[in-house]
Amino acid sequence: MKLRIMFILTLILTLLAAPIWAKNIRQDLVRAGTLEQVMSKNKLRIGFSTFVPWAMKDKKGGYTGYEIEVARQLANDMGVEPVFIPTKWSGIIPALLTGKFDIIIGGMGITPARNLKVNFSKPYEFSGMSIVANSKIAAGKVNLNDFNHEEVTIVARIGTTAASAAKKYLPKAKLRLFDDEGQALQEVLNKRAAAMISSQPFPEFQTLKYATKLFLPLAGKTFTKEPIGFAIQKGDADFLNFLNNWVLVKQSDGWLQERYDFWFTTQDWKSQVQ
Amino acid sequence: MLPQQPSRWGRLDIILLSLLFVAIGYLGYRINAGLEYRWNWQVIPQYLVRHDPEAGCVPNLLLQGLLTTIRLSFWSLLLALPFGLLAGLLRTSLHLFNRLVGGTYVTLLRNLPPLVLIFIFYFFISDQILPLLNIGERISAAPEWLQHVLALSLAPVDQLEAFLAAVMTLALFEGAYIGEIVRAGINNIESGQWEAGRALGMRRWQLLRYIVLPQAFQRMIPPLTGQAISTIKDSAIVSVISIQELTFQGMELMAATYLTFEVWISVTVLYFLLTYSCSWLAGRLELRLRRIYTH
Repeated sequence: MKLRIMFILTLILTLLAAPIWAKNIRQDLVRAGTLEQVMSKNKLRIGFSTFVPWAMKDKKGGYTGYEIEVARQLANDMGVEPVFIPTKWSGIIPALLTGKFDIIIGGMGITPARNLKVNFSKPYEFSGMSIVANSKIAAGKVNLNDFNHEEVTIVARIGTTAASAAKKYLPKAKLRLFDDEGQALQEVLNKRAAAMISSQPFPEFQTLKYATKLFLPLAGKTFTKEPIGFAIQKGDADFLNFLNNWVLVKQSDGWLQERYDFWFTTQDWKSQVQ
Repeated sequence: MLPQQPSRWGRLDIILLSLLFVAIGYLGYRINAGLEYRWNWQVIPQYLVRHDPEAGCVPNLLLQGLLTTIRLSFWSLLLALPFGLLAGLLRTSLHLFNRLVGGTYVTLLRNLPPLVLIFIFYFFISDQILPLLNIGERISAAPEWLQHVLALSLAPVDQLEAFLAAVMTLALFEGAYIGEIVRAGINNIESGQWEAGRALGMRRWQLLRYIVLPQAFQRMIPPLTGQAISTIKDSAIVSVISIQELTFQGMELMAATYLTFEVWISVTVLYFLLTYSCSWLAGRLELRLRRIYTH
């Protein structure tokens, strides 16, 4: 009898305490969120991979690029110090998921497959895929269908949306993937591949550099449009809300567009790198 | 001692040497003709050393990477030696259990590709161990001079956790190979030595400590130095977990400048200079030890 009363009393008290628990859970959630962690450590750890001109090493051993500027501004607006963690593109999502850094600011295109693993903010820029081809072996090919043949070899950087765009738009062509863009382009220059797929403005810049050897089959037009967002760990609504509104604010005051124009339509930044 | 013969230049040497030069020249010509590549060597030196208005000449990307490679190899090797010694002793133990433990460690580590090990260790194991120790937090709270010392001897504070994970993985991996060297060294000691020790009434550990290991170490020096050089080469693998050593810095630089061949060639030369000077030192060490032991 005594035992049963004790049991019922415990149950009632537990139920009464439930709202208090719920409140604690919310506080715990906020405390465990990335935003609070970043603010208390006073450091925003940013994962990125080298992609010209999104993010790259400069001559002085630091980092520079469009994404780097965006990341610096974001950290600045949060009042914390940015810590840049260069990471190989192929391992960047696992590194985010295992907490090696707080956020990926690395020109990561939002795709449903990636979104199953990470959360994306609203896009802060759009990029598009373009194609650059060898003037000798791809002569006369002027639209995308011309490249969609079995004997055509296409190259792209591994794990990028360029690689998936190649698979989607040129399913018949042979696709070969490389760890970085320099190697992929070298295959095109050496006539071992007909063309390379990459985000703008890489094809344009390379065609300017190797004017006699490369050309732009689509006259410099992109054939996809991809939203680029910040990637963070799942289950963190506070940080996501902050990022979304940061993008909104920076879009409204024109800062994002202005920096985008500087990095993607001019080459004034070249002297910082070489 | 090998008989020393005076080396002389014969006609065959000259013919062979000139043939070699012709082959190299032809290869160079083919590369130059067949490769659509615009060489740009002028920009490479600035990635080795750069001029800072305040501090003067400071190492830039590639040299920083080389320093990280040296630090990484040094600490990995230092940690691998006790692992290897332990594994070797376990493998030569009289107890079956110890032999099985040592055997499992060596067999498992030697039969897995280091790349796979690095990934597993970095993403799973180090992720569970290092946050428990809370290294990052503690170091950020440490005094300035300690941070400075750590940055010089290990890695900058913000890269320390990844660096430690890399050092541990490399040490575990190299430890398995060193374990085999130690085992071979111990087994190599003549049974007469063991018997003589036993006849003097020594216990097993005394035997090992005073008779077997000192002799075994002397015989282990050549393969150990080889393993040390191997560690330097293996350290390139940790570039996949974004440790900023020479290979990683080289790849970052290639991604930023597209100077694929210039950077790879510079990286190769730097690695060769490092490993070659190590082999030269190892050769000297061996000679000296041989003199000490023979006198």
